[in-house]
Amino acid sequence: MRKIFVISLLMVLVLSVLSGCWNQKELTDLAFVMAMGFDKGENKKFEVSFQIVNPGNVSSGQNGAGQGLPIAVYKSAGNTLTEAARNATKMISRRLYYSHTNLIAISEEVARDGILDVMDALDRDPEFRTTTQIVVARHSTAEELVSALTNLDKLPVNKITKELKTTESMLGENTRVNIDDFLAGLVSNGKEPVVNGYIVKGNKEQIGRADDLQKTKTETFLEANGLAVFKNGKLTGWFEHEKARGVVYVLDKVQSTDINIPWNGKKHAITMAPIRTKTKVSVHFKNGKPIINIAIEDEGFISEANTDVDLTDPKVIEKIDKLVEKEIKQQVMESIKDAQKIKSDIFGFGERVHRANPKLWKKLKGNWDNQFAELKVNVKVDSYVRREGIRTNPFWFNMNK
Amino acid sequence: MPILSKLLKKKQKQRKNDNYRQQQDPQKPENLPILREYKDNISRIKGEFGNSNDIVIREIVHCKHRGALVYVDGLVDSRAISDFILESFNENDIDTDGMDYFQFMTEKAVALGSNEVIHDWNQVYDMLLSGNTIIFLEGYNKAISGETKGWEKRAITEPSTQLSIRGPKDSFTETLRTNTALLRRRIKSPNLWLESMRIGTVSQTDIAIMYIKGIANEKIVKEVKDRLKRINIDSISSSGYIEQLIEDQSWTTFPTTYHSERPDTVTSQLLEGRVAIIVDGTPFVITAPALFIQFFQAADDYYSRFDISTGIRLLRILAFIIALLGPAVYIAGTTFHQEMIPTTMAIAIAAQRENVPFPAFVEALIMEVTFEILREAGLRLPRAVGQAVSIVGALVIGQAAVQAGFVSPVMVIVVSITAIANFSTPVFAMAIAARLIRFVLMGLATILGFYGIMLGLMFMSIHLCSLRSFGIPYMMPIAPFNMRNQQDIFVRFPIWAMKYRPMFISKGNMVRSGENQKPGPPKQGDDNQSSKGES
Repeated sequence: MRKIFVISLLMVLVLSVLSGCWNQKELTDLAFVMAMGFDKGENKKFEVSFQIVNPGNVSSGQNGAGQGLPIAVYKSAGNTLTEAARNATKMISRRLYYSHTNLIAISEEVARDGILDVMDALDRDPEFRTTTQIVVARHSTAEELVSALTNLDKLPVNKITKELKTTESMLGENTRVNIDDFLAGLVSNGKEPVVNGYIVKGNKEQIGRADDLQKTKTETFLEANGLAVFKNGKLTGWFEHEKARGVVYVLDKVQSTDINIPWNGKKHAITMAPIRTKTKVSVHFKNGKPIINIAIEDEGFISEANTDVDLTDPKVIEKIDKLVEKEIKQQVMESIKDAQKIKSDIFGFGERVHRANPKLWKKLKGNWDNQFAELKVNVKVDSYVRREGIRTNPFWFNMNK
Repeated sequence: MPILSKLLKKKQKQRKNDNYRQQQDPQKPENLPILREYKDNISRIKGEFGNSNDIVIREIVHCKHRGALVYVDGLVDSRAISDFILESFNENDIDTDGMDYFQFMTEKAVALGSNEVIHDWNQVYDMLLSGNTIIFLEGYNKAISGETKGWEKRAITEPSTQLSIRGPKDSFTETLRTNTALLRRRIKSPNLWLESMRIGTVSQTDIAIMYIKGIANEKIVKEVKDRLKRINIDSISSSGYIEQLIEDQSWTTFPTTYHSERPDTVTSQLLEGRVAIIVDGTPFVITAPALFIQFFQAADDYYSRFDISTGIRLLRILAFIIALLGPAVYIAGTTFHQEMIPTTMAIAIAAQRENVPFPAFVEALIMEVTFEILREAGLRLPRAVGQAVSIVGALVIGQAAVQAGFVSPVMVIVVSITAIANFSTPVFAMAIAARLIRFVLMGLATILGFYGIMLGLMFMSIHLCSLRSFGIPYMMPIAPFNMRNQQDIFVRFPIWAMKYRPMFISKGNMVRSGENQKPGPPKQGDDNQSSKGES
């Protein structure tokens, strides 16, 4: 009995000694870094902008919240990320805390020069989450991007991350990419990463000004814009709109989108909105050369029919299906062609080949970029219109009778 | 602690040397015989009781014989005395010559339920103080003791601490006999055995041990009796005394005996093979052995359907965990593991804590202690003031503290949830254990975060597993695991599926119900059954 007491007493004593180097930190001593922006520095290699949340101004409560700005941005320079972060402590009263960082913004300039020097710090730091989203600030500095205020979501970061999630599933021209995905693409021979582009639109003078938020139509706002294609850790090109959608289609990230098809000679007459989309990529080999087969299957409903069309006729539906298939196939083929032009395998075809035939891959991987450019890709789309909304035939159908 | 346990060990050794309990208490007068002269006896009683005026002495003359009645006012039924004792002394025309007058009075005249002839003074005091009337007759060195017990009793009322919605509404009272009767009425079997003893050298408190012969484990019954016999203490004020004197382990916050004021609960425990200890003067009956999970089983669990009671029991266990961990998790979360809180919530908490001048631990401690004070005060307050205090308390904890910026609203939420969760444990003894351990865990969370909480919980589990209640592992049947007895642990099986009594506690007669107890409509083609039902 006595022994147990002595042992437990010792344990407790030892533990209290340990607590000295334990990282106890009060919430009020932390500066929650919500987003970080990387720009090219003048003297030092990087200029890092820290978007720090001001909790009292975000959360509504009894303490009269919502008066000031929800975020504060501090900028510091350094040759490495750590150096910049340590330099920032000269300006910030609280300890920088990265566990809730949800966004990394990289300026286009830095992205073109190569962002490899940033990535290890993000990957290594125990506080930092590799599920953090990464975006490229297009036509603006990363500082401007992280300084911008938004009016619907109090925290600009939330706007960006939520927006990416929504647009990925509703439109499919962007796809969420986090640090993990990016690094996976970076290290893989048979895959190159894509990153979302974000732009600050409008009057840049108004960035980060509270009075801009007093307007229903703010002068500056953030918008997801295009997909940045990387090659060897460097930004090499942009995919926009349908081409970006083609990429997202192949990556099997599209859930819903809108496909316009012509009818009766009228352009954009019928819109089909898929509700479920599934992409399967497979490889087969012919004469020792890989051929990629992409099978896309989607189901959806007619969301608009702006022409005289008899939607009760199965043959018409069949025809619509065919046209939708053609449209999707064209979009996908164009993105593939563009990617082949810049020799960047953003679809991960190389990985598929690797998995399907490891022996062959050993031969191919040294020269995969060129192989990819000449790769034969078959796209097969199966589209089904499952329903027509709460109307069968459009009013056009009755009008012309 | 080590010093204290050392001291205790020494004492225990001494006690062993004393060869258990001394039957004779030094404070008690020597065992003297009753004197022939009744006046001497009376003066002796007067002297012994210091002329206390509730000792009523009434001299009588009957058929030339003289004598005296002695009883304690308040302990006796005065109607019984006047109707059955004094009445018989009024018949003066009996010829008593040539017969044994004493014998006659004992057998015929004193018309009471039970008469006894006593010879020595110890018996006199015993009987007198139990509410009997002692009749001294001149010329006899013995006395008659007539049973005239009858003191003020509290009526059987609804239980005040262990309420039930559907169950019976009676509860034990302070009177031992009423309590045993409540149990007898529920188990009409000769196998329900009752053994009684007196504990307390001065108080001489009546104690009854009840168990069902053939269901209860004989070894445990013997152990209970042995432990009770070992008690050598001046008085037993409540069953709480007994509980603390017969526990297996004193160094624990967890109760290792169960107590209930509900006769139905005790009945079901007797039927599971447990032993009930009923103490005169306490409306709480102790049952042993007690298992950890038993403190989460409420009477209503068995009165409502099994799916509902299973859900509610799981909820109760969850509430216990909340009561145990609530503030500790808050402290660990806000001072160590901010990354584990969802971003929006972390920011919301940070916003609220922005102006709080204390670290999370101090904040939590202030609130918890304030609440404990309020709760304790609420228990002891006169009813009339109660409401005023609860209003002040609600204002102090709820609003003023938050508005003054001393504590954050989240903390108020945590404290209130913890407090409410704590009240959902059916037995107070277990709830109070959680209350105490909560503070330890809060301290650990402050020093080590979740690691500390886990450490604390580990120690707690080890401790729980080391506990025994009358030799039965406290965590039965979870650890050691027993498949057969899982029927009433986390999931309360339907009554027809609860076929077995708990292992070890009950021995020999393990099966409770017959085969095919599952109810259902009569099966087709099963004519026998349906015709039986009709006839």
